[in-house]
Amino acid sequence: MKRLAGVSVAALMLGLSGTAFAEGEFAGVTLEAKLIGGQQYEALYARIPEWEKMTGATVKIISQKNHFELDKEFKSDLAASTTNWCVGSNHSSFASQYPSLYTDLTPLIPADQVAEYVPANIAAATLDGKLVMLPRAQFDVSALYYQKSLYTDPAKAEAFKAKFGYDLAVPETWDQLRDQAEFFASPPNFYGTQYAGKDEAIVGRFYELVVANGGKLFNDDFSPAFNSDAGKQSLQWFVDLYKAGAVPPGTTNYLWDDLGNGFASGTIGLNLDWPGWAGFFNDPAASKVAGNVGVAPAPKGSAGVRTGWSGFHGFSVTENCANKEAAAALVLFLTNEESQILESSAGPLPSRTKVWEHVVDAAKSDPYKTEVLAAFQETGKTAFAVPATPYWIEATNLIYPELQAAILGDKTVDEALQAASDAVDGLMRENGVY
Amino acid sequence: MTRLRLPPWLVLLLPAIIILAAVVLVPLVLSFYSSFTAYQLTRPETLWKWIGTFNYRKAAGDANFWWAFGRTVLLLTIALNLEMLLGLGLAVMVSKVTTGQRLLRTAMMFPMMFSPVLVGFQFKFIFNDNVGLVNNALQSLGLTDVAIPWLVDGHLALFSIIFAEIWTSTSVFAILILAGLYAIPQDPVEAAKVDGCTPWQSFRFVTLPFLMPFIYIAMAIRSLDVARAYDIVQIMTNGGPARRTELLWTLIGRTAYVDARMGYANAMGYIAILLSIFFTIYFFRKLTAARSELGMGV
Repeated sequence: MKRLAGVSVAALMLGLSGTAFAEGEFAGVTLEAKLIGGQQYEALYARIPEWEKMTGATVKIISQKNHFELDKEFKSDLAASTTNWCVGSNHSSFASQYPSLYTDLTPLIPADQVAEYVPANIAAATLDGKLVMLPRAQFDVSALYYQKSLYTDPAKAEAFKAKFGYDLAVPETWDQLRDQAEFFASPPNFYGTQYAGKDEAIVGRFYELVVANGGKLFNDDFSPAFNSDAGKQSLQWFVDLYKAGAVPPGTTNYLWDDLGNGFASGTIGLNLDWPGWAGFFNDPAASKVAGNVGVAPAPKGSAGVRTGWSGFHGFSVTENCANKEAAAALVLFLTNEESQILESSAGPLPSRTKVWEHVVDAAKSDPYKTEVLAAFQETGKTAFAVPATPYWIEATNLIYPELQAAILGDKTVDEALQAASDAVDGLMRENGVY
Repeated sequence: MTRLRLPPWLVLLLPAIIILAAVVLVPLVLSFYSSFTAYQLTRPETLWKWIGTFNYRKAAGDANFWWAFGRTVLLLTIALNLEMLLGLGLAVMVSKVTTGQRLLRTAMMFPMMFSPVLVGFQFKFIFNDNVGLVNNALQSLGLTDVAIPWLVDGHLALFSIIFAEIWTSTSVFAILILAGLYAIPQDPVEAAKVDGCTPWQSFRFVTLPFLMPFIYIAMAIRSLDVARAYDIVQIMTNGGPARRTELLWTLIGRTAYVDARMGYANAMGYIAILLSIFFTIYFFRKLTAARSELGMGV
């Protein structure tokens, strides 16, 4: 019965560009929603009244916060058993923490609809066989932004070749990037590169470098696997850059906003960053490097693999929602083709195959946009999500202080990775993971 | 059937008892109980998983916890003493001002009017290594040509946090000590002058003993404040980098709300409370001693 209802809802949704909704399908239904807030996310919510008008339902947004705050709120809701609101913003990096909060969308959304999303995104949204969210057009993977002028100066090119023995060109590997970052750096006015230095952010960067260097963060049973040659090589990369003064000395305190503003201030040469910044970096009103920004796919590690830690936003339906069919319909509406075209027109990357084609097509007349999309599409091909363990965030909180300790010289790379590995092993054992 | 009649005193006290039980007793008992369980926020059923003293033993054996504990004591000691000295100096100077004293007293309280979260953001920006005011000023004045990592270096980061704490709270001391200065009887001070005491001697042996009870009250209040320092530190460094500025409450806050391990966080919280109890008892004993020295009774 549930499946039938879901199918009928989805069938209605199929012709969304027209007005194929049965008027008042969910008349009288009120859905409470907890959604991520922030300017870049809210244009989509302007479509909600449209859905309300079509279905007769009412959507009440009862909370709007960033994901870290929402995460705390969801945890409090679980503790207090106040989870009868219906629709929640979700993120691939957080989703595995709430195994009991969200319902499986598989019975509510027909398979042919699900097939229209990028398969890798759907795979990452499926935890323990449950499709816990539908991805919105907020797919994130990092590519390399750089100042083009660094590569047009013949004197620099000559000096670089004399020092390193190969031509100066946009880096294709992380070793080349390290060489170049050290070469370009002229502290305290100019730094070769920078990296996120705390919380999940630095662990994510470490994770993708470990993978690019041929290693793994966790074994299949989620025991730590990063205390390996690939792990040591990856952490050494962070340490080398810090020691050489190629990154700002405060980088271990930086998070995404600090990094984005840093590159826009013109004091950073190379910057691995998210697609959401592309417009900002090239906006003359906001950025000193506007007009001088190049974008290349993420460099490769020693295993010939690109870094590609990725994540995406999505919407989920709670297990305790009184009207899951209506909630699923809303989630489908917020991630349908029109919604994704609307969101991705402002820069974020879509998570539907057809919308990708649309976006690439629409950018043809704009060489910068085309360059951005090409770089992110190439990086996206080999992107990977965070390990699907409910203890991901907790593990990152154990790992990042140790990474920082190595970067700042409080511990050696070996000591730091051993300590982090022991701590994560303890966490997994304590929780009966193995 | 007879109606249950409560004694009048109990009826009168009942509203207070109910409110106290609801807002203090129940949370206290619940949090104490949960410190003996494997309670995780994301798994409500774990509230009933009794694990005895495991959380306490885990905290007691965790070097990071004791480092945070020691660092909190260090911060408390430095911040309290500096705030006291600066507050005392400020109060003595303001008390000597003859015109515009009211204006000065009001201005002195401005830092207390800012939310600690805003103070945290303000000093995070001021001490930013790349775009911060301090580094830019030092570089513009030619005093340094390097970007000083104020919030990264272990000593400097703790200094920056203490600086922010002192900026925001010295006036608490100043105001309380100023109140003390106004309350001092003038006869002993004048007698000291007549007996030929130098200004320093009359301050050290006459004024200061009168001020000590006020200083200890300020110390007791501020020791509780600093011992649960969270907001400024959370914003400025979040306990990092590499746990260099980790204090008890940043560690406990992260464990409880980010890692969702409420049982373990509560156990650490109960151990941390010992610190507050110790300082409170210490300062109240000092207060009592200072009062009896002045013949003010206990």
